[in-house]
Amino acid sequence: MTDLLEIREKIKLFYSKYEVFLLPVIKFLIAFITLNALNGKMGYMVRLDNMAVVLIAALACSFLPVGCIVLFTTLFSLLHMYALSMEVALVGFCFYMVIYLLFFRFAPRDSLVIVLTPLLFSLRIPYVMPIVVGLVCGPASAVSVGCGVGVHYLLQTVTDNSSAINTMGEDDLSGKLRLMIDGLLGNREMLVIAASFAITVLVVYLIRRMSIDHAWTIAMVSGALLNIVILLIGDLIYDINISVVGALLGSLLALAAAKVVEFFRFCVDYSRTEKVQFEDDEYYYYVKAVPKMSVAMSTKTVKKISSQYERGTAAQTRGGGSGSRGYGNQQKHRGESGHTTPAGQGASGRGRKPLDFEEY
Amino acid sequence: MLNEERVILMTRMASYEGSPEGRRNVKIGNYFRSDYLALQLLKSLASVTICFAVIFGLYIFYDFEDFMQNLYEIDLVAFVKKVIIYYGVAAGVYLASTYAVCTYRYAKAKRDLKNYYHNLKKLNSLYDEQF
Repeated sequence: MTDLLEIREKIKLFYSKYEVFLLPVIKFLIAFITLNALNGKMGYMVRLDNMAVVLIAALACSFLPVGCIVLFTTLFSLLHMYALSMEVALVGFCFYMVIYLLFFRFAPRDSLVIVLTPLLFSLRIPYVMPIVVGLVCGPASAVSVGCGVGVHYLLQTVTDNSSAINTMGEDDLSGKLRLMIDGLLGNREMLVIAASFAITVLVVYLIRRMSIDHAWTIAMVSGALLNIVILLIGDLIYDINISVVGALLGSLLALAAAKVVEFFRFCVDYSRTEKVQFEDDEYYYYVKAVPKMSVAMSTKTVKKISSQYERGTAAQTRGGGSGSRGYGNQQKHRGESGHTTPAGQGASGRGRKPLDFEEY
Repeated sequence: MLNEERVILMTRMASYEGSPEGRRNVKIGNYFRSDYLALQLLKSLASVTICFAVIFGLYIFYDFEDFMQNLYEIDLVAFVKKVIIYYGVAAGVYLASTYAVCTYRYAKAKRDLKNYYHNLKKLNSLYDEQF
């Protein structure tokens, strides 16, 4: 555990030292992976399905605010839909507009969740999202995760119906609209997953805020179990064919990811919990203080051997004495005066050059 | 001469002012409660109206040919009444949620700003002590 804590401190130190460079790199990677996944999934507009365009967009995202990743992803998906059919793009535009106008006016900071949820779906690890979001974000993020699920199924509906849309005539405007809207509103799987993810986020958030020992661990385990139970109930009621093995494995993976998040965000030592009680004029205070787990970073002491010593030794040698004798004298002097260099002060302890032979 | 306590206080305050939450709270703090709530409710009304128009448009286009064929047969007044009721319910629910969220946010921002202004006063007194 000590080694892990030491690695964590090193990572934190490294991040704080190079945050200026790391943050754009992280944003670039998120944008690059998301846009690539989107192009891989849809790719109807040939001009957009081009590595150079993705790289330019990802580079732009790296120095623009995080919200621009959402903007670029939305634009890319709408352009792909437009390349397939204008009616599909119209439905997509309306869907995004309703989400942005109604929800993201209140929680703009959660906008990244709406991008990451479809990304995790395409990476086949969607169960990570509700548990990690419940641990890291607030209760309002339940709606963000639900919207993210909606966006995933919008894209899924487009890709599933693309061949049918292509076969429809140009004039069949309402037919294409009907296909898209029916595909979205009649998708029971989307509703069950959105509901289960939103409830999981809320439950995980509520449990991890409770004043109980190991609240984070209890929250993530109960969240994962609840998610599976809701999915199974939804499967029984609506017969949506959710893979139980996939859900179990995904939940295990989600637990592992949540443990990593816990390690970085909430690593505490419950064995040293202190409970104190005091009062002032207005209140009684019942305080439970749980100390964070941390280790002091081991410091490396670099001892510099001055080149002057070598020159001095050489001079002594030339002056008649042997090199070893000269050094021996120096050690003796130092021993007598009690002048030693304290550890950690390096070679310049007490402002002297300890190995400068000329001083002795 | 550097005053350590003052430097710590100023650093903490600058950090709060620079954080997204601090910026948002300072912006909210510039309004009276009623003005802030009225502005947010107006924005929400605009949002919900646009969204309702978009969804209504999709509903019409969903079965556009049938709608046009039956336009003269359906009871238009009853249809408009129904649409207005749906709009009223949607707007009411959304405005009520806006009111609840914004009331909570305003109270929280004021609480945080109170702490910030307390620190400002403390900083001022530290300057007075020195000069």
